[in-house]
Amino acid sequence: MFSPILFKQGMKESWRLLFIFGAVLAMYFIIIIYMFDPKLSHVFDEYAKAMPQMMSMFGMKSTSGSLIEFLASYLYGFIIPVLPMVFAILCANRLIARHVDRGSMSYLLSAPVKRVSVAVTQAMVLVTGIVLLVAFSTVLGIVTSEFLFKGDLDKEGFIMINIGALSMLLFIAGICFICSCIFSDAKKAAALGAGIPSLMYIIQMLANAGEKFEDLKYATFFTLFDPDGIIKEDTFAYVQIVILFAGALLLFAAAVIVFRKKDLHI
Amino acid sequence: MNVIEIKELTRNYGNDRGVFDVSFSVKEGEVFGFLGPNGAGKTTTIRHLMGFLKPQKGSCTIAGRDCWKESARIQEQLGYIPGEMEFFSDMTGQEFLIFLEKYRGIKANGRKNELLERFELDAKGKLKKMSKGMKQKVGIVAAFMHDPQVLILDEPTSGLDPLMQNRFINLILEEKKRDKTILMSSHMFEEVERTCHRVCIIKNGRLAAVDSVDALKATQVRKYIITLDSPDSAVAFAKEELRETVVSGSSVTVGIKGDIKDLIAVMARYPVTNIKTPGQSLEEVFMQYYGGDK
Repeated sequence: MFSPILFKQGMKESWRLLFIFGAVLAMYFIIIIYMFDPKLSHVFDEYAKAMPQMMSMFGMKSTSGSLIEFLASYLYGFIIPVLPMVFAILCANRLIARHVDRGSMSYLLSAPVKRVSVAVTQAMVLVTGIVLLVAFSTVLGIVTSEFLFKGDLDKEGFIMINIGALSMLLFIAGICFICSCIFSDAKKAAALGAGIPSLMYIIQMLANAGEKFEDLKYATFFTLFDPDGIIKEDTFAYVQIVILFAGALLLFAAAVIVFRKKDLHI
Repeated sequence: MNVIEIKELTRNYGNDRGVFDVSFSVKEGEVFGFLGPNGAGKTTTIRHLMGFLKPQKGSCTIAGRDCWKESARIQEQLGYIPGEMEFFSDMTGQEFLIFLEKYRGIKANGRKNELLERFELDAKGKLKKMSKGMKQKVGIVAAFMHDPQVLILDEPTSGLDPLMQNRFINLILEEKKRDKTILMSSHMFEEVERTCHRVCIIKNGRLAAVDSVDALKATQVRKYIITLDSPDSAVAFAKEELRETVVSGSSVTVGIKGDIKDLIAVMARYPVTNIKTPGQSLEEVFMQYYGGDK
């Protein structure tokens, strides 16, 4: 079911990408946390008041003043879904569809390794990448907050937000991965693997923007990740996390089955 | 015992493309040539044997195992050279071969070094910077290094220079002595003539013929291009009692089956300046044998 050698190779190829995304995340986290000011009104809140629609499209809204709400709003509304999403799109495409499209998949399958093992291993490479990015964000958020504003961060709540973010990102990765398994043409796989999550995010932006489009929130899975609900310890927000994890598991399982049964012209 | 067995294999891509009702088998220890023009269905058939494609109808087995359901088991004792050499992007040849050894779970440096030496391959360079011939050599080493019992080779010598083609043929001959079962597709008559026991040809997705190489050779019409000193002598030469002569300028193309004693006798009487035997593709030979468009 799993090939350690292939996993190692996949991780070796992921490091550079992970490093770049990690560096960009670190930059955003440090800058944004630095801007938090527990006493004065926040720069971002000024923006949020000045152009509420524009800011809320990216999930950023005027906050009541706690550090965790500030992070939930300014980091987990835009940077966190989008950056790891781009990573998932690039990584998922490289792991299956590109090998099939170029024909190098023939080397992975002309060995005593089952197709299911190849697909499960490649899925694990993608999942590991996402888990590493979210774990890095969690540690980064806590360390930076402690360093700059000692004791201000509700750490338990922040960890829960990250678990929520992980569930959503794994769901997105599942979409990218199943597209990579369905389409033998790497370009088609990339177009759909990138297109579906991007479209969902745009719908989410519209739903955030205003009353007229509010019902659109039922048309996008991004709604299931609800940082405000998590902070308030709303049970429904937790249930939604479980739904996202279950959805991600289903997507990956379906992707493995698709890959096992598909005709490969390699 | 039949090691490779294909029964009524059908895959219809529409527009009369694909393979239709293809059946043949390769016995244990046999080297089998698989011929056909581009797009005839050779690679499609091979993909079924490799378990990449599921037969729409019919079946393929290797050593009694179903190629679709048990491909991973079959691969333990199978070596494969794909028609298109495409590798992982960023590895060097050496890294790729070491990766494959570990991925296959075989011990390091089994036959690898011997094969690298045999083909004079320095695999330290990046794969994507390698020439076609070098990539082909990497593919050959990858297919043979785990010393498999069955080999499926799709155009194994494409991109190799004549010296290396020769070394490859010698490798096949050695493996033949060691009772390996080999299915190889090829374009070159010499390669197949020197290595294969039997040959089959596939055309438009349908099996046109299966026969032994010896039977083929016996009926082969060889071509000789004889150049004379002037067009006039060429015309005169063509009137001699030889089969199938075609004049063009001062040269004559003669087709002869078997013994060429008569041709030599005739040539002795003419001012011959040059004699050439153009290489024949196996397809041409086959088409002659089966009378054109069969």
